[in-house]
Amino acid sequence: MNFQSVIATLHQFWSDRGCLIVQPYDTEKGAGTKSPHTFLRALGPEPWSVAYVEPCRRPADGRYGENPNRVQHYYQYQVLIKPSPENILDIYLDSLKALGIKPEDHDIRFVEDNWEDAAVGAWGVGWEVWLDGMEITQFTYFQQCGGIDCRPVSIEITYGLERLTMYLQEVNSIFDIRWNDRLTYGDVHLQGEIEGSKYNFEASDPDLLFTLFKLFEQDAERLMKASLVLPAFDQVLKCSHTFNLLDARGVISVTERARYIGRIRSLARQVAQLYVKQREELGFPLLKESQAQAA
Amino acid sequence: MVTFLLEVGTEELPASFVADALNQWRSRIPASLAESFLSSESIQFYGTPRRLAVLIAGLPTQQPDREEEVKGPSAQAAFKDGKPTKAAEGFARSRGIAVADLAVRSTDKGDFVFVRQQIAGRPTAEILTELVPQWIFGLEGKRFMRWGDGDLRFPRPIRWLVSLLDEAVLPIRLVNGSESCTSDRISQGHRVLHPDPVLIPSAAQYVECLRQAFVEVDPAQREAQIVAQAEKAARSVKGVATINPGLLAEVRDLVEYPTAVVGQFDPEFLELPPEVITTEMESHQRYFPIRKAADRPTLLPYFITIANGDPAKTDLIAAGNQRVIRARLSDGKYFFDLDRKQSLEDYLPRLETVTFQADLGSVRAKVDRMGEIAQMIGSQLQVNAATQSAIDRATLLCKADLVTQMVGEFPELQGVMGEKYARSSGESEAVATAIFEHYLPRGAHDQLPLTLGGQVVGIADRLDTLIGIFSIGMVPSGSSDPFALRRAATAIVNITWAANLELNLEQLLHQAVSAFLAGSTPPKTDAASLLQQLQEFFLQRVRTLLQEDRSIDYDLVNAVLGESDPDYTARALQNLLDVRDRAEFLQSIRQNGQLTAIYETVNRASRLAAQGTLDKTTLEPTGLIDPRQFQQPSEQAFYEALIQLVPETQAAQAERNYQRLVDALANIAPVVSQFFDGSTSVLVMDENLDIRQNRLNLLGLLRNQARVLADFGAIVKGE
Repeated sequence: MNFQSVIATLHQFWSDRGCLIVQPYDTEKGAGTKSPHTFLRALGPEPWSVAYVEPCRRPADGRYGENPNRVQHYYQYQVLIKPSPENILDIYLDSLKALGIKPEDHDIRFVEDNWEDAAVGAWGVGWEVWLDGMEITQFTYFQQCGGIDCRPVSIEITYGLERLTMYLQEVNSIFDIRWNDRLTYGDVHLQGEIEGSKYNFEASDPDLLFTLFKLFEQDAERLMKASLVLPAFDQVLKCSHTFNLLDARGVISVTERARYIGRIRSLARQVAQLYVKQREELGFPLLKESQAQAA
Repeated sequence: MVTFLLEVGTEELPASFVADALNQWRSRIPASLAESFLSSESIQFYGTPRRLAVLIAGLPTQQPDREEEVKGPSAQAAFKDGKPTKAAEGFARSRGIAVADLAVRSTDKGDFVFVRQQIAGRPTAEILTELVPQWIFGLEGKRFMRWGDGDLRFPRPIRWLVSLLDEAVLPIRLVNGSESCTSDRISQGHRVLHPDPVLIPSAAQYVECLRQAFVEVDPAQREAQIVAQAEKAARSVKGVATINPGLLAEVRDLVEYPTAVVGQFDPEFLELPPEVITTEMESHQRYFPIRKAADRPTLLPYFITIANGDPAKTDLIAAGNQRVIRARLSDGKYFFDLDRKQSLEDYLPRLETVTFQADLGSVRAKVDRMGEIAQMIGSQLQVNAATQSAIDRATLLCKADLVTQMVGEFPELQGVMGEKYARSSGESEAVATAIFEHYLPRGAHDQLPLTLGGQVVGIADRLDTLIGIFSIGMVPSGSSDPFALRRAATAIVNITWAANLELNLEQLLHQAVSAFLAGSTPPKTDAASLLQQLQEFFLQRVRTLLQEDRSIDYDLVNAVLGESDPDYTARALQNLLDVRDRAEFLQSIRQNGQLTAIYETVNRASRLAAQGTLDKTTLEPTGLIDPRQFQQPSEQAFYEALIQLVPETQAAQAERNYQRLVDALANIAPVVSQFFDGSTSVLVMDENLDIRQNRLNLLGLLRNQARVLADFGAIVKGE
C-alpha cells in the first residue's frame, strides 16, 4: 500500500464512521494537536468528530536527510472525537484491519504514554500503540486544553503516517517510502530536509526570530482585545513555531526557555477562554445541531 | 459460605498502576470487610492491563448478629431528680428504644447513659453492594482521568464490571455522564485472541474461564511464565537472559498472555558499547538482552520480547521487532560514529552553550570552577603531580559528553559515553575511568567511585553545585530539593568515608567558597553566611548518615557532633573519618559495657568542672596545675595520672585509636574515686579560691581528655 493509499484508506475509514474529513491547517505547527480543528474544538460542550492529515514541523529533529527515521517535517493523521466513544479501541483496531494489518497476527500493545504540551496548557493521558514493538499511534484522552478542563473529554488518535507506511512497505528509510507507484517520499521531501535542517540549525536569523516572536505576541494580544479569536490563535501558532526555531538554533537557555513557554501558554490560555466564550455567545451551535439530529 | 468475585474491566491500565492498585486492595479490602463484621477464608487479588479483580472465598451469607453499646448524654444531663430529661428522651427515640431501657454506667469521664442493642446482621450481598464502589474509587494514584461526558475518575476508562456472589450476579451500577456500566457475569478475554465475551458461570470459576480466553489473571503466574520462557529462549541461542526486576514487573503488567519471542540483530551492532544496546533494549523497547554468560557483560546479537500475541505467530512478531531494533541500533551507531569524529576535548566549546543554572552560567564555567576545587582537594590529599594532572584532565573533560549526539539521545548514558569517548580520543585509563566514576553514586544503592580520580572529580562536581545553588538562595526545604543537594552532600560524605580520604572539609569549604565568590558571578550572599549554611547542611547529612545508615544511637551522635558546640562541629568537618570512627567506637563500647565503666567518672568530673574557668581544649597539666596548692595525696595522684594520660590521649586521636583513650580513662578511674570519695578525698569547692580553682582544673583536664572522644554530657546513660 503506497503512502497516498494509506491516507485515502484512513480518510475512507473515518469518514464511514461519521468523521468530518477536513484539510490541513495552513500555519506551521509542531503537531496535529495544535491545529484549531483539535486544539479549539476540543474545548466546550459541542460534539465534534474530525479526521485530517496534518503536516508537522519539528525544527530540532532535522538530520539533514541523513537519518532514516528522523526528519524536521513530517505528517500525522489526526482523529479527534468528542465525547470519547465507549468502543474506541475496537474501532481503532478495525482501522488497522482496513490498512491490511490483522491484529490477531501481531503483538499489539497499548503502553502508557501521557501527553503534555506545557506551551499550550494542555495535557491528557493515553497510550502509544505498539505493533510488534513499533510505535505506530498515539492515543490521548484530553483532560485540559489551554488550561481549561475538557468537558466532555475528547479522544485524540494520532497515526504516525511514515512509521506506519514504512512498516506496511517493509522499508527501512523514510525516504524509501513509495508515495505512489512512481515516486518516493525522498523524491518529494529529501531536498527539503537537507535545506530545512540547514536553515533550522545554521541559516536562520536569531535576531529576526526574536523580533518576530515579540511581534507575533503583540499582535496576538491586540487581536484578542478585538475579540478576533481565530486570527489571534494563528499568531499564537506563529509564536510557538518561532520559539521552536529559536530552540533548534540553541540560542535559548534553560531558564529563558521556561519563560518563553510561559508566554506562549499565557496566550494559548487566553485564546482558549475567548474561544469558549465566543461559542457560548453563539449558543453552542453544534450542540443544537446534534440535539436536532437526535430528536 | 459464599464466594464473591469482583472484576473491574478497563481499557489498558498503566503497567505501574496494576501492581500498585492490587497492593492498595491487599491492605484495604480485608480491613473494609472486618469493619463490616464480615469474615472470609481467603482473598485473592488478580490484575492484568485490562482488569483488576478480587476473589473472596468463605464469606458468610450475612453478618453475624451482634450486640452494640451506644453512649448517650451524661447522666447529669439525662436525668433531673431521677426523672428523664428531654435529652434522655431524645436519645432513646433516636435509638428506637424506651427510656426505661437506658442504663447508667460510670466512665473515667463521669457517669453516662448507655444503651445496649441487639443488631441483626445484614445480608452480605447488601453490604458488598455498598463496599464495592468504595473499593474501586478508593484507589489512589497519579494522573487519574475523566472520560466521555462524565465525572468518574480512574487511571483509564472503566468498561465493564463482573460481580458474582457464587452463581448470582450482584448488581452494581456505575454511572458516568450519559454512559453507565452495570455489573454482569460477562467478562472480556484477550483483546485480539478472544474477541468474544466470556461468560463466568460462578465466582470460583473466574481464573479458569479467563485462562480459556487467553488471559492469565494472576500476576505471579504471568511473571513465572515470563521468567521461565525468557530463560528457555535465551538457552535456545546459547545465552543467558538479563532480566532486570523493574522491567520484569513492567512487562508482566503489559501483557495478558505472555509469549517470549527471540529476535536477532546484525552482529555488526555489537561494536556499539553494551550500555547503549542495553539502554535501547530495556528502556525503549522493553526487551530482555541476552548475554554470553551471567557474569560477563558481553552481549549476544539477540533479544527477547514478551509478546501479547498468538504464540503461533512468533515469526511475524519477531520479524517486526527485528526491524524496530535495527532502526534503533542504526540510530545508535550513527550517533556513535558521528560523535567519535571529534575528540572529546573538541566538544568543550559547546559546553559554553549549555546552561548549568541561569545565575551560575554555563556547564563550561562549572567545569572551570570544579577544576579549582579538584586542585584544592589534590593538595589536601598530597597527591603526586602525575595523579593531579590526570585529575585535572578528567575534570576538564567530565561533562564534554553532554553535548554529544548519543547523550543528547540517551541522557542516562552521561558518563558512560564520556568514558568511551575519552578512551577513543586517546585519553589515559585513569582519566577515562574518572569521567565515568565522577557520577557515582547515581542513586541510593549505586556503587561508589573506586579510583582516586573518580572520587576527587565527583566531590569537586558536587561541592561546586552545593556552593553555587546555596549562593543563589535555592536552599532545599522540606521535600523540595530540585537540585538534589541533599543527595550531593550525602555522596561527598559517603565517598570520603568509603575511600578513607583524609579530607578537611571545613578548610575545603572555606577555600572553595572564597574562590567561588572571587569569580565573576555576583553573589547574593556573603561568605560568612554562605559558609555557615553549608557547614550546617553537611553536619545535618553526617548526623543522618550516622543515625540512619550506620545505626548509631542519637545521643552518641550528639556526643561526637555536639548540638551547638563549635569545637565539635568544626572538628567533625575537619576530619570526617574521625567523627565516623568516634561514633562507631562509642556504639561499640556501649555494647561491650566499657562505656559504663568510665561514664560516671567522666561525667561527675565534667559537671563539677563546669563551675571552673578552664577552657575545653587544654590537655597539658604542667604549668596549669599548681602542686603547692595540694592538701591531700589524692590530688597529687590525680595530677600524676593526668600527666601520664596526655600522651595516650594525643596518640589515640592521632591514630584514631580511641580504645587507647578509653583504656587510659578506665585506669585513671580509681584515682579519681580516691579524689572524690577515698580516705584522702577532698572537697572540691574549698573556701580558698586558689585551692578550689586548682581542683576544678584537675577535673577540667580530665573532662578535656574525655572530650577528645566525645561530649559525655550528651550521652543519655552510661549503659
